[in-house]
Amino acid sequence: MPPETPAGLGQFFDAWELFRDPALAGVVAGALLGFLGVFVVARRMVFLSAALSQAAGLGVAAAFWAQIHLGLSGTWLGPTVGSTVATGLAALYLVGGTRGARWRPDGRLGWVYLMGAAGTLALGTRIVQEVQDIETILFGSAVAVAPADLHQLLVVASVLLALQLVGLRGFAQVAVDEDGARVRGLPTGLLGLLLVASLALAVSVTTRILGALPVFAFTVLPAMAALRVAPNLATAAWLAAVLGGAAGFLGYLAAFLFTLPVGAAQALVAGAEVLLTALVGLALDAWHVRAVHRHAHIHGPGCGHLAVQHGDHVDYLHDGHLDHQGRDGHHAGEHDPPHHH
Amino acid sequence: MVSDSPLLLCQGLQVGYRGRPLLPPIDLRVQRGETWALIGPNGAGKTTLLRTLLGLLPALGGQLVHPGSAIAYVPQRSELDPSVPARVLDLVRSGAERGWSFAKPRWPFASNPAVLQAMRDVGVENLCREPWLHLSEGQKQRVLLAQALAGQPDLLILDEPTSAMDVHAERQVFDLLGELRDRRRLGLLLVSHNLGALSRFATHAVFVDKDQGVVVPGPLAEVVAHPAFDARFGVHVAQRGGDAS
Repeated sequence: MPPETPAGLGQFFDAWELFRDPALAGVVAGALLGFLGVFVVARRMVFLSAALSQAAGLGVAAAFWAQIHLGLSGTWLGPTVGSTVATGLAALYLVGGTRGARWRPDGRLGWVYLMGAAGTLALGTRIVQEVQDIETILFGSAVAVAPADLHQLLVVASVLLALQLVGLRGFAQVAVDEDGARVRGLPTGLLGLLLVASLALAVSVTTRILGALPVFAFTVLPAMAALRVAPNLATAAWLAAVLGGAAGFLGYLAAFLFTLPVGAAQALVAGAEVLLTALVGLALDAWHVRAVHRHAHIHGPGCGHLAVQHGDHVDYLHDGHLDHQGRDGHHAGEHDPPHHH
Repeated sequence: MVSDSPLLLCQGLQVGYRGRPLLPPIDLRVQRGETWALIGPNGAGKTTLLRTLLGLLPALGGQLVHPGSAIAYVPQRSELDPSVPARVLDLVRSGAERGWSFAKPRWPFASNPAVLQAMRDVGVENLCREPWLHLSEGQKQRVLLAQALAGQPDLLILDEPTSAMDVHAERQVFDLLGELRDRRRLGLLLVSHNLGALSRFATHAVFVDKDQGVVVPGPLAEVVAHPAFDARFGVHVAQRGGDAS
């Protein structure tokens, strides 16, 4: 647990051996989910990841319950297997639906989300010995990560990122214009299935290690931040991976420094990234509008800007500076604003 | 010069949803150099027919073939989500992807002659790095046309290419389409509500009206003379320029 007394950066890095694995797990999970999240957000599937992370939580809780009450143990019914099975079933139900069912997709998402959350809490009362793990699953309060879990996460992240890189242009085209991609013969159904399967696998592994709250946050918030400022989806995916990784590490560090739950701190840092990029995005928009205006606007008599005689030529007061218009009507430069004495 | 081999051939094509036909069987033969207008009132079945021709909806029966010809689709501008970032070059490049080509490595700065030519043909080569979000409606339409042309198609299918445009911009789009059709020997099939512009631009038309239970394909003059068309749009056509919605 993070220390109760105020801690400093020095203490954090002095004990780096202790914090290395969980911090690295946060970085890898943040980067993987950030990258995947760009396509999830662009395709308006945000709550799919929320529902899958709750289903993963239920799977972990069910595995603990089976270990305690049914005496099942070992590799075949560990928490990771439980979360993978539950997430896989939820993904199949959400993507494939059921024959004859009349529920809308968002209704099915709500059902999976609520059953996952309520089921995890209900099972938590029957596995008192593991209640700390249930809190970890739901809110991401873990500070330690087992080496085996980190290795598993690294393998899964490498495989999924390699798959995403191969299909990057395809995933991007489906996200921008699915009908157009289908007309051009892209395997849109398979690409959609791969995206959901990748998300389900990533969510099941990371929920087991970090908890449902930071997993949902990493899937949504870095992607939102990156989509606000990136020029295209491919750049947004890389930027979201960087932002997700940064939120994973800085969130863990903030949890240590300010004695906060790790998952909440990671989600808050990712949320701060959204605000920061929103400000950057506003600045970029303003710069673009000014650039377009300058290129499109030619000063002259009656153009709406104040004309100021300046030596042998006339300047125009525009946005706090003087624009110098060339004799041929082209924009020729800027001067400092006029001084009034 | 119009070749005899069709770009798109429908024989007894049945369109609809969940096994229920929406319109009578359709026979259609689109050739190079022809411009077909898909017209009908709102809710008449135009979108269902368009999506079936594009392969986005399964046909309920009959034959739909485009022997050896590549089809490109120009969607409505509003179909692209403005919150998803894309530059002009990204969009036009994506039009050159077919099937599994997206999985082949591509050097980031590699230039594709078909992409460059498509951008030149519609006059957007200077907008390469501009975000889609910042383009005017007319520029957006040109970019979507360039995207379609990058795939070097034989037949262009366009959904409402001039919606939400003023008369001047609309005329520019129709002029550009006519120029591209002639220069690239394309076939065109477009949905539009502007009967006045279509009467000057289209060579053929398919009039659909599920309420009347009719599909009337053929040369434009024959279609507008059909009693079912006259019953629906006679007054508008007489005024040349009415809105078919």
